[in-house]
Amino acid sequence: MISVLENSPTLHWLGRQLFNREDPAAFFDPLLERINPMWVQQYTPARVTAIRNETADTKTFVLAPAKRWKGFQAGQHVNISIDIDGIRRNRTFSLSSSPIQWRNDGTVSLTIKRLPGGLVTNWMHDHLEPEAVIGLGEAFGDFRVPAPQEPALYIAGGSGITPVLSQLETMAASDYRAPVTLLYFVRTQADVIAAEKLHALAGRWPAFTLKVVATNETETPQFLSDQHLDEVPGLGARRCYLCGPKGLMDLADDLLYRRGIGEERIHSTFFSVPAANLDTDTLGGAVHFERSNLDVSSEGDAVLLEIAEAAKLSPRYGCRMGICHQCSCRKTSGTVINRLTGKTSGPGEETIQLCVSVPSGPVSIDI
Amino acid sequence: MKRMNEAQLKELEQDLDTIRDQVIADLGERDARYIRSIVRLHRSLEIGGRVLMPFGFIPPVFIAATTALGISKIIENMEIGHNVMHGQYDWMNDPSLHSQTYEWDTVCTGDSWRRTHNYEHHTYTNIIGKDRDYGYALLRLSDDDKWKPAHSLQFINYVLLSVFFQWGVGLHELESERIRRREISVREKIPFLKDFFRKGGRQAFKDYVFFPLITFPVAPVVLAGNVGANLIRNLWSSTVIFCGHFTQDAETFTEEECEGESKGHWYLRQLTGSSNFTGGKWMHVMSGHLSYQVEHHIFPDLPAHRYPEISEQVQAVCKKHGIPYNTGTFARQYSTVLKRILGYSLPDRLRNRMLPEFNSTATQS
Repeated sequence: MISVLENSPTLHWLGRQLFNREDPAAFFDPLLERINPMWVQQYTPARVTAIRNETADTKTFVLAPAKRWKGFQAGQHVNISIDIDGIRRNRTFSLSSSPIQWRNDGTVSLTIKRLPGGLVTNWMHDHLEPEAVIGLGEAFGDFRVPAPQEPALYIAGGSGITPVLSQLETMAASDYRAPVTLLYFVRTQADVIAAEKLHALAGRWPAFTLKVVATNETETPQFLSDQHLDEVPGLGARRCYLCGPKGLMDLADDLLYRRGIGEERIHSTFFSVPAANLDTDTLGGAVHFERSNLDVSSEGDAVLLEIAEAAKLSPRYGCRMGICHQCSCRKTSGTVINRLTGKTSGPGEETIQLCVSVPSGPVSIDI
Repeated sequence: MKRMNEAQLKELEQDLDTIRDQVIADLGERDARYIRSIVRLHRSLEIGGRVLMPFGFIPPVFIAATTALGISKIIENMEIGHNVMHGQYDWMNDPSLHSQTYEWDTVCTGDSWRRTHNYEHHTYTNIIGKDRDYGYALLRLSDDDKWKPAHSLQFINYVLLSVFFQWGVGLHELESERIRRREISVREKIPFLKDFFRKGGRQAFKDYVFFPLITFPVAPVVLAGNVGANLIRNLWSSTVIFCGHFTQDAETFTEEECEGESKGHWYLRQLTGSSNFTGGKWMHVMSGHLSYQVEHHIFPDLPAHRYPEISEQVQAVCKKHGIPYNTGTFARQYSTVLKRILGYSLPDRLRNRMLPEFNSTATQS
């Protein structure tokens, strides 16, 4: 009911006058949240309806988003937001369920592996319970099922399987007849995520070939090699999808390239945010100023405010000593180190003070 | 101001930074819960006040509704708006509590406030000629302004400023005194004036047009209640703010002594230029913890509800360095503010005779 403040232009205008905010419907959130957290307007709330163990370190979280969530296509990602110790953390994950599940019962699934040292993934594993409500952004990403149908090869590693699961289920349900092969690399057979589902798919969907490669079960580790690719019939005609750790993706890219498969037929997606680099020796990095559409690189302990000014931008600033917050702005990705405290930021979207933030690796800033 | 050498200033800086670091390391759930509970209180009071107001033809209901709305505005301006815009809750990463986008329930735009208050006032605190908050270019509060006959009526200006405080604060950035002195032209202020009229219009529309109109049969009651609520907020916030820097012992500074100053010197200036007042928990909440003006000025971006917790540590640092820590009861502090306004409205010789205690606060350089 409150959402009418966002949907009707007249009421939206009136709400802005009365509540002094661009999202007037969210004015009532602090009270609504207490009555029913699914009524919150500031973000799209999603209720955790079930949590399943996939492997020892991977769980699937089933979420029921509020009605206004717009849906997704197989292979897309979402941002979720969770308040942990008073701080809102935003992270990106792939949806592992198919859009059919969403249409049938209004739920979507995220299959999430514990990232060593990762704040959000570990918190979700240890503290997120059914009935809890988290924030869910709209789906994005162009890792999509091939249309029209054509032969496909999926190379996935570890929890990189998640967007692939969503696509395979969608394809199986749509009577996909072109051959589809999945090369799935895992450390040991016990690390196969959604094993039951994958084997069920292989059983009932004739066009699908499943090959699980356990890399660490033999004496010498088995990585992706030409031999694996030789076993894929008609490789040259296949559209290739890569999702997994960087090492696997680079290797696959290289092997496919050498077999003459064009770049336009290889689709890659990273499956997790790189862990924050705590090594303070690696200060500096590529800086992307989003709104100005400007890319510069920085070295040493130059702060973002100076970097922006050197690039002829004029962000708002005040004291230039970390006091007045005139220069606070959104960092959309990347890690920065606070020059005053030496503290490293998280990798996700958050507010930083330009005048005391030093990039540590590539950073995107919303100015 | 107390003289300290660079080594002493460096030590002061380190002592205060230690307190700050401790608080920052401890920020978390407790602070988030605190500010959200204050936001809930604000929403409840505002909605309660607005809903009750049309029934204000019953006198006790009128008083309850006007008080609720007045207090809601005070809490929103002081404990939420002012503090959020200082970036005290930016670390929470909640877009609704973010310093750069927060817009508060008063005439002054958030952007104008962030420029004139967060930057100018908090960086150049009490430097005569640079901190336009010192007397708001309207009142003579130190010897640095030469006495003119017009100053003898400044107490009337003070009362008017308090009554229309939100409009005064809204117009602060116009720098009308510099326009009068022809240092700047009105044309340069057109972008500011556009924002001022948009926000001022919005505030007036809400309280004086929209809510009275939708309750048409009782429009005069609702209008009167809304005027009353704004008046309550104006008088209270101006009083609290005047107690922050204009008490008897709050010092002023010259541009020369602050040129190229170190962080330690900046700390020293904040400590000696600000003044606290004592009171109960709700007194502090209603003043947005500006009752801990000293703590606020050295750590403007720490969540304000932390100031009472670190006050003793700050006092210990002051004692160690022999720096006065200016505090007293609300009544005592406010009476010295009134004396200062009255005293400096008099010619210097007359003031020296009648209020000799203010002699020492003139700049000593």
